[in-house]
Amino acid sequence: MQYNIIVLQNNLQHSNLKKILFFTIVFTGLALVVANLFGKDTATTVSLLLYVPVTLSLVILSIILSKRFGMKGDHGTAWILFSIFAILWFIAERISLYYNLKLGEELFPSEADAFWLAGYPFLFAFMMFYLRPMKNSITKKMIFLAMAISVVLLIPPLYIVSYESMDVDLSETAIAIAYPIGDAILLIPAIIGIALFLGGKVNFLWTLMCIAIVFETIADTGFLLATIDDSYYEGHPVDILFIWYYVIFSFGVYHHITLFKDHRKDPYKNVQELR
Amino acid sequence: MLEATDLEIKKALLTISIEEALLEIGRPVLDAVAHSLCVNYKCFIPDCLDHPEYLKQVLQELYGNGCSNIIKSIHKHLDEYASMQQIEEFLISIDPMTIHSYPSR
Repeated sequence: MQYNIIVLQNNLQHSNLKKILFFTIVFTGLALVVANLFGKDTATTVSLLLYVPVTLSLVILSIILSKRFGMKGDHGTAWILFSIFAILWFIAERISLYYNLKLGEELFPSEADAFWLAGYPFLFAFMMFYLRPMKNSITKKMIFLAMAISVVLLIPPLYIVSYESMDVDLSETAIAIAYPIGDAILLIPAIIGIALFLGGKVNFLWTLMCIAIVFETIADTGFLLATIDDSYYEGHPVDILFIWYYVIFSFGVYHHITLFKDHRKDPYKNVQELR
Repeated sequence: MLEATDLEIKKALLTISIEEALLEIGRPVLDAVAHSLCVNYKCFIPDCLDHPEYLKQVLQELYGNGCSNIIKSIHKHLDEYASMQQIEEFLISIDPMTIHSYPSR
Protein backbone atom coordinates (compact mmCIF):
# COMPACT_ATOMS: atom_id res chain seq x y z
CA MET A 1 0.00 0.00 0.00
CA GLN A 2 2.71 2.45 1.08
CA TYR A 3 4.80 1.37 -1.92
CA ASN A 4 1.90 2.19 -4.25
CA ILE A 5 1.53 5.65 -2.64
CA ILE A 6 5.25 6.32 -3.13
CA VAL A 7 5.08 5.21 -6.77
CA LEU A 8 2.04 7.45 -7.25
CA GLN A 9 3.85 10.42 -5.64
CA ASN A 10 6.91 9.86 -7.86
CA ASN A 11 4.74 9.62 -10.97
CA LEU A 12 2.93 12.83 -10.00
CA GLN A 13 6.23 14.66 -9.45
CA HIS A 14 7.53 13.36 -12.78
CA SER A 15 4.34 14.38 -14.57
CA ASN A 16 4.53 17.90 -13.03
CA LEU A 17 8.13 18.24 -14.23
CA LYS A 18 7.05 17.28 -17.75
CA LYS A 19 4.24 19.87 -17.62
CA ILE A 20 6.63 22.63 -16.48
CA LEU A 21 9.09 21.62 -19.21
CA PHE A 22 6.33 21.77 -21.82
CA PHE A 23 5.19 25.18 -20.51
CA THR A 24 8.76 26.55 -20.55
CA ILE A 25 9.29 25.32 -24.13
CA VAL A 26 6.01 26.88 -25.29
CA PHE A 27 6.72 30.13 -23.43
CA THR A 28 10.28 30.61 -24.74
CA GLY A 29 9.25 29.62 -28.28
CA LEU A 30 6.26 31.97 -28.32
CA ALA A 31 8.27 34.82 -26.78
CA LEU A 32 10.81 34.72 -29.60
CA VAL A 33 8.17 34.25 -32.35
CA VAL A 34 6.16 37.23 -31.08
CA ALA A 35 9.36 39.30 -30.66
CA ASN A 36 10.26 38.60 -34.30
CA LEU A 37 6.87 40.02 -35.33
CA PHE A 38 7.94 43.32 -33.76
CA GLY A 39 11.21 43.43 -35.69
CA LYS A 40 14.83 42.36 -35.45
CA ASP A 41 15.76 44.71 -32.59
CA THR A 42 12.98 43.39 -30.34
CA ALA A 43 13.89 39.82 -31.29
CA THR A 44 17.52 40.45 -30.40
CA THR A 45 16.60 41.96 -27.02
CA VAL A 46 14.19 39.13 -26.14
CA SER A 47 16.67 36.49 -27.32
CA LEU A 48 19.49 37.94 -25.22
CA LEU A 49 17.17 38.19 -22.22
CA LEU A 50 16.18 34.53 -22.61
CA TYR A 51 19.72 33.25 -23.06
CA VAL A 52 20.88 34.56 -19.68
CA PRO A 53 18.54 32.53 -17.40
CA VAL A 54 18.60 29.34 -19.49
CA THR A 55 22.41 29.17 -19.66
CA LEU A 56 22.83 30.21 -16.04
CA SER A 57 20.35 27.59 -14.83
CA LEU A 58 22.27 24.86 -16.67
CA VAL A 59 25.54 25.93 -15.03
CA ILE A 60 24.02 26.14 -11.53
CA LEU A 61 22.19 22.80 -11.81
CA SER A 62 25.23 20.99 -13.21
CA ILE A 63 27.45 22.36 -10.42
CA ILE A 64 24.89 21.23 -7.79
CA LEU A 65 24.87 17.72 -9.25
CA SER A 66 28.63 17.67 -9.68
CA LYS A 67 29.06 18.70 -6.04
CA ARG A 68 26.65 15.97 -4.96
CA PHE A 69 28.52 13.24 -6.86
CA GLY A 70 31.95 14.54 -5.84
CA MET A 71 35.20 13.42 -7.43
CA LYS A 72 34.72 9.69 -6.83
CA GLY A 73 33.15 7.16 -9.18
CA ASP A 74 32.57 7.23 -12.91
CA HIS A 75 29.47 9.36 -12.58
CA GLY A 76 31.35 11.79 -10.35
CA THR A 77 33.89 12.34 -13.15
CA ALA A 78 31.03 12.47 -15.67
CA TRP A 79 29.24 15.32 -13.89
CA ILE A 80 32.48 17.31 -13.47
CA LEU A 81 32.97 17.06 -17.25
CA PHE A 82 29.35 18.09 -17.78
CA SER A 83 29.86 21.15 -15.56
CA ILE A 84 32.90 22.16 -17.59
CA PHE A 85 30.81 21.84 -20.76
CA ALA A 86 28.03 23.99 -19.25
CA ILE A 87 30.53 26.64 -18.09
CA LEU A 88 32.26 26.76 -21.50
CA TRP A 89 28.94 27.26 -23.30
CA PHE A 90 27.91 29.86 -20.71
CA ILE A 91 31.12 31.81 -21.43
CA ALA A 92 30.48 31.48 -25.17
CA GLU A 93 26.97 32.90 -24.76
CA ARG A 94 28.28 35.80 -22.69
CA ILE A 95 30.95 36.60 -25.32
CA SER A 96 28.17 36.54 -27.92
CA LEU A 97 26.10 38.87 -25.70
CA TYR A 98 29.11 41.21 -25.35
CA TYR A 99 29.57 41.45 -29.11
CA ASN A 100 25.84 42.03 -29.59
CA LEU A 101 25.84 44.88 -27.10
CA LYS A 102 29.15 46.35 -28.29
CA LEU A 103 28.86 45.94 -32.05
CA GLY A 104 25.11 45.65 -32.32
CA GLU A 105 25.43 42.44 -34.35
CA GLU A 106 26.39 38.79 -34.04
CA LEU A 107 30.05 38.30 -34.90
CA PHE A 108 30.83 35.04 -36.68
CA PRO A 109 33.30 33.47 -36.28
CA SER A 110 34.38 34.89 -32.93
CA GLU A 111 36.09 33.81 -29.69
CA ALA A 112 32.69 32.45 -28.63
CA ASP A 113 32.99 29.71 -31.24
CA ALA A 114 36.20 28.49 -29.62
CA PHE A 115 34.31 28.02 -26.34
CA TRP A 116 31.28 26.38 -27.99
CA LEU A 117 33.47 23.97 -29.94
CA ALA A 118 35.61 23.27 -26.87
CA GLY A 119 32.43 22.21 -25.04
CA TYR A 120 31.75 19.30 -27.40
CA PRO A 121 34.60 16.99 -26.24
CA PHE A 122 33.57 17.55 -22.62
CA LEU A 123 29.94 16.64 -23.32
CA PHE A 124 31.12 13.58 -25.25
CA ALA A 125 33.43 12.60 -22.38
CA PHE A 126 30.54 13.08 -19.93
CA MET A 127 28.46 10.58 -21.86
CA MET A 128 31.37 8.13 -22.07
CA PHE A 129 31.99 8.24 -18.32
CA TYR A 130 28.27 7.94 -17.58
CA LEU A 131 27.97 4.87 -19.80
CA ARG A 132 31.26 3.33 -18.63
CA PRO A 133 29.86 1.25 -15.72
CA MET A 134 27.34 -0.28 -18.16
CA LYS A 135 29.73 -0.66 -21.11
CA ASN A 136 29.41 -4.44 -21.26
CA SER A 137 25.67 -4.12 -21.94
CA ILE A 138 26.31 -2.02 -25.06
CA THR A 139 25.82 -4.23 -28.09
CA LYS A 140 27.23 -3.77 -31.59
CA LYS A 141 23.63 -3.50 -32.84
CA MET A 142 23.08 -0.47 -30.57
CA ILE A 143 26.25 1.20 -31.84
CA PHE A 144 25.41 0.60 -35.53
CA LEU A 145 21.83 1.84 -35.09
CA ALA A 146 23.04 4.99 -33.28
CA MET A 147 25.66 5.62 -35.97
CA ALA A 148 23.11 5.14 -38.75
CA ILE A 149 20.69 7.68 -37.20
CA SER A 150 23.57 10.07 -36.60
CA VAL A 151 24.76 9.85 -40.23
CA VAL A 152 21.20 10.46 -41.50
CA LEU A 153 21.03 13.61 -39.39
CA LEU A 154 24.34 14.79 -40.84
CA ILE A 155 23.18 14.58 -44.50
CA PRO A 156 21.24 17.91 -44.70
CA PRO A 157 24.10 20.15 -43.40
CA LEU A 158 26.67 18.37 -45.58
CA TYR A 159 24.35 18.76 -48.59
CA ILE A 160 23.97 22.49 -47.87
CA VAL A 161 27.72 22.96 -47.58
CA SER A 162 28.51 21.07 -50.78
CA TYR A 163 25.90 22.88 -52.91
CA GLU A 164 25.41 26.31 -51.45
CA SER A 165 28.65 27.55 -50.00
CA MET A 166 30.77 27.93 -53.12
CA ASP A 167 31.25 31.69 -52.70
CA VAL A 168 31.39 31.81 -48.89
CA ASP A 169 34.58 32.11 -46.83
CA LEU A 170 36.03 28.63 -46.31
CA SER A 171 36.99 29.13 -42.65
CA GLU A 172 33.47 30.40 -41.84
CA THR A 173 31.93 27.37 -43.51
CA ALA A 174 34.37 25.02 -41.78
CA ILE A 175 33.45 26.41 -38.36
CA ALA A 176 29.73 26.40 -39.17
CA ILE A 177 29.84 22.77 -40.37
CA ALA A 178 31.88 21.72 -37.29
CA TYR A 179 28.75 22.20 -35.14
CA PRO A 180 26.44 19.73 -36.92
CA ILE A 181 29.34 17.26 -37.11
CA GLY A 182 29.87 17.64 -33.36
CA ASP A 183 26.12 17.18 -32.75
CA ALA A 184 26.06 14.04 -34.90
CA ILE A 185 28.96 12.57 -32.92
CA LEU A 186 27.20 13.40 -29.63
CA LEU A 187 24.03 11.77 -30.85
CA ILE A 188 25.72 8.33 -31.00
CA PRO A 189 26.26 7.90 -27.22
CA ALA A 190 22.94 9.69 -26.54
CA ILE A 191 21.00 7.08 -28.55
CA ILE A 192 23.01 4.26 -26.95
CA GLY A 193 22.08 5.74 -23.55
CA ILE A 194 18.37 5.69 -24.39
CA ALA A 195 18.57 2.04 -25.49
CA LEU A 196 20.64 1.09 -22.46
CA PHE A 197 18.53 2.76 -19.80
CA LEU A 198 15.16 1.86 -21.34
CA GLY A 199 12.63 1.44 -18.54
CA GLY A 200 14.82 3.18 -15.97
CA LYS A 201 14.32 6.55 -14.29
CA VAL A 202 17.68 7.86 -15.55
CA ASN A 203 16.37 7.40 -19.08
CA PHE A 204 14.50 10.71 -18.74
CA LEU A 205 17.81 12.60 -18.86
CA TRP A 206 19.06 10.56 -21.81
CA THR A 207 15.82 11.01 -23.76
CA LEU A 208 15.93 14.76 -23.14
CA MET A 209 19.60 14.90 -24.11
CA CYS A 210 18.83 13.07 -27.34
CA ILE A 211 15.92 15.43 -28.17
CA ALA A 212 18.08 18.45 -27.31
CA ILE A 213 20.92 17.26 -29.55
CA VAL A 214 18.48 16.72 -32.45
CA PHE A 215 17.15 20.26 -31.90
CA GLU A 216 20.71 21.58 -31.78
CA THR A 217 21.59 19.81 -35.05
CA ILE A 218 18.53 21.32 -36.77
CA ALA A 219 19.39 24.73 -35.29
CA ASP A 220 23.03 24.45 -36.40
CA THR A 221 21.88 23.51 -39.91
CA GLY A 222 19.54 26.52 -39.88
CA PHE A 223 22.39 28.69 -38.62
CA LEU A 224 24.61 27.35 -41.43
CA LEU A 225 21.96 28.26 -44.02
CA ALA A 226 21.46 31.71 -42.48
CA THR A 227 25.24 32.26 -42.43
CA ILE A 228 25.56 31.32 -46.10
CA ASP A 229 22.86 33.78 -47.20
CA ASP A 230 23.98 36.31 -44.53
CA SER A 231 20.52 36.54 -42.99
CA TYR A 232 21.36 35.55 -39.41
CA TYR A 233 20.81 38.00 -36.57
CA GLU A 234 20.57 37.50 -32.80
CA GLY A 235 16.96 36.49 -32.15
CA HIS A 236 16.56 34.73 -35.54
CA PRO A 237 13.88 31.97 -35.34
CA VAL A 238 16.64 29.30 -35.23
CA ASP A 239 17.56 30.74 -31.83
CA ILE A 240 14.34 29.18 -30.48
CA LEU A 241 15.95 25.75 -30.94
CA PHE A 242 19.20 26.91 -29.33
CA ILE A 243 17.24 28.19 -26.30
CA TRP A 244 15.24 24.96 -26.13
CA TYR A 245 18.54 23.07 -26.07
CA TYR A 246 19.53 24.74 -22.80
CA VAL A 247 15.99 24.43 -21.37
CA ILE A 248 15.75 20.71 -22.14
CA PHE A 249 19.24 20.00 -20.78
CA SER A 250 18.46 21.97 -17.60
CA PHE A 251 15.31 19.94 -16.98
CA GLY A 252 17.21 16.70 -17.54
CA VAL A 253 19.86 17.71 -15.01
CA TYR A 254 17.19 18.90 -12.57
CA HIS A 255 15.44 15.53 -12.84
CA HIS A 256 18.75 13.86 -11.97
CA ILE A 257 19.09 16.11 -8.92
CA THR A 258 15.66 14.99 -7.70
CA LEU A 259 16.55 11.37 -8.47
CA PHE A 260 19.82 11.42 -6.56
CA LYS A 261 18.78 13.46 -3.54
CA ASP A 262 21.09 13.55 -0.57
CA HIS A 263 19.18 11.37 1.91
CA ARG A 264 21.96 10.99 4.45
CA LYS A 265 20.55 13.72 6.65
CA ASP A 266 16.95 12.50 6.38
CA PRO A 267 15.77 11.14 9.73
CA TYR A 268 13.90 7.84 9.60
CA LYS A 269 10.31 8.51 10.54
CA ASN A 270 9.86 5.23 12.29
CA VAL A 271 13.03 3.26 12.99
CA GLN A 272 11.17 0.39 14.60
CA GLU A 273 9.15 -0.13 11.46
CA LEU A 274 12.33 -0.87 9.52
CA ARG A 275 13.46 -3.76 11.71
CA MET B 1 32.97 -10.49 23.48
CA LEU B 2 30.17 -10.62 20.93
CA GLU B 3 30.70 -13.03 18.06
CA ALA B 4 29.12 -12.56 14.67
CA THR B 5 26.94 -15.36 13.44
CA ASP B 6 27.46 -17.03 10.10
CA LEU B 7 24.43 -15.19 8.71
CA GLU B 8 25.70 -11.83 9.92
CA ILE B 9 29.08 -12.43 8.25
CA LYS B 10 27.37 -13.28 4.97
CA LYS B 11 25.20 -10.18 5.23
CA ALA B 12 28.28 -8.06 5.91
CA LEU B 13 30.08 -9.54 2.89
CA LEU B 14 27.05 -8.89 0.74
CA THR B 15 26.73 -5.31 1.97
CA ILE B 16 30.39 -4.57 1.28
CA SER B 17 30.12 -6.04 -2.22
CA ILE B 18 26.96 -4.10 -3.09
CA GLU B 19 28.38 -0.90 -1.66
CA GLU B 20 31.68 -1.31 -3.52
CA ALA B 21 29.89 -1.97 -6.81
CA LEU B 22 27.64 1.08 -6.41
CA LEU B 23 30.42 3.35 -5.13
CA GLU B 24 32.32 2.64 -8.35
CA ILE B 25 29.49 4.54 -10.05
CA GLY B 26 29.04 7.22 -7.41
CA ARG B 27 28.11 7.82 -3.79
CA PRO B 28 24.65 9.26 -4.62
CA VAL B 29 23.83 6.05 -6.52
CA LEU B 30 24.47 4.02 -3.37
CA ASP B 31 22.39 6.51 -1.36
CA ALA B 32 19.55 6.37 -3.88
CA VAL B 33 19.50 2.56 -3.88
CA ALA B 34 19.66 2.35 -0.07
CA HIS B 35 16.92 4.97 0.27
CA SER B 36 14.71 3.29 -2.29
CA LEU B 37 15.12 -0.10 -0.53
CA CYS B 38 14.27 1.55 2.76
CA VAL B 39 11.25 3.52 1.55
CA ASN B 40 9.76 1.04 -0.90
CA TYR B 41 10.55 -2.27 0.80
CA LYS B 42 11.37 -1.25 4.37
CA CYS B 43 14.68 -3.04 4.26
CA PHE B 44 18.39 -2.27 4.44
CA ILE B 45 21.13 -3.45 2.10
CA PRO B 46 22.08 -6.46 4.32
CA ASP B 47 18.46 -7.66 4.12
CA CYS B 48 18.91 -8.14 0.38
CA LEU B 49 20.52 -11.49 1.18
CA ASP B 50 17.02 -12.75 1.96
CA HIS B 51 15.32 -10.56 -0.66
CA PRO B 52 17.54 -10.22 -3.73
CA GLU B 53 14.45 -9.39 -5.79
CA TYR B 54 14.14 -6.06 -3.94
CA LEU B 55 17.64 -5.00 -4.97
CA LYS B 56 17.05 -6.15 -8.53
CA GLN B 57 13.78 -4.22 -8.70
CA VAL B 58 15.35 -1.02 -7.32
CA LEU B 59 18.26 -1.20 -9.78
CA GLN B 60 15.86 -1.95 -12.64
CA GLU B 61 13.70 1.06 -11.72
CA LEU B 62 16.75 3.31 -11.68
CA TYR B 63 18.82 2.08 -14.62
CA GLY B 64 16.43 0.00 -16.73
CA ASN B 65 18.29 -2.45 -18.96
CA GLY B 66 21.59 -0.97 -17.78
CA CYS B 67 21.13 -2.60 -14.36
CA SER B 68 22.38 -5.96 -15.66
CA ASN B 69 25.92 -4.59 -15.71
CA ILE B 70 25.65 -3.33 -12.12
CA ILE B 71 24.38 -6.77 -11.11
CA LYS B 72 27.38 -8.32 -12.89
CA SER B 73 29.65 -5.97 -10.95
CA ILE B 74 28.06 -7.05 -7.63
CA HIS B 75 28.47 -10.63 -8.82
CA LYS B 76 32.18 -10.04 -9.50
CA HIS B 77 32.71 -8.60 -6.02
CA LEU B 78 30.96 -11.60 -4.44
CA ASP B 79 32.53 -14.24 -6.66
CA GLU B 80 35.08 -15.49 -4.12
CA TYR B 81 32.33 -16.11 -1.55
CA ALA B 82 30.01 -17.82 -4.01
CA SER B 83 30.72 -21.20 -2.43
CA MET B 84 28.66 -20.11 0.59
CA GLN B 85 25.17 -21.44 0.11
CA GLN B 86 23.19 -18.28 0.87
CA ILE B 87 25.51 -16.10 -1.21
CA GLU B 88 25.16 -18.53 -4.11
CA GLU B 89 21.38 -18.47 -3.74
CA PHE B 90 21.50 -14.67 -3.74
CA LEU B 91 23.60 -14.64 -6.91
CA ILE B 92 21.36 -17.14 -8.67
CA SER B 93 18.30 -15.19 -7.70
CA ILE B 94 19.62 -11.78 -8.73
CA ASP B 95 21.27 -13.04 -11.90
CA PRO B 96 19.76 -16.26 -13.28
CA MET B 97 22.76 -16.68 -15.63
CA THR B 98 24.78 -17.53 -12.49
CA ILE B 99 23.12 -20.91 -12.33
CA HIS B 100 25.32 -21.98 -15.24
CA SER B 101 28.48 -20.69 -13.56
CA TYR B 102 28.61 -23.07 -10.61
CA PRO B 103 28.51 -26.84 -10.54
CA SER B 104 25.36 -28.27 -8.94
CA ARG B 105 25.72 -29.38 -5.34
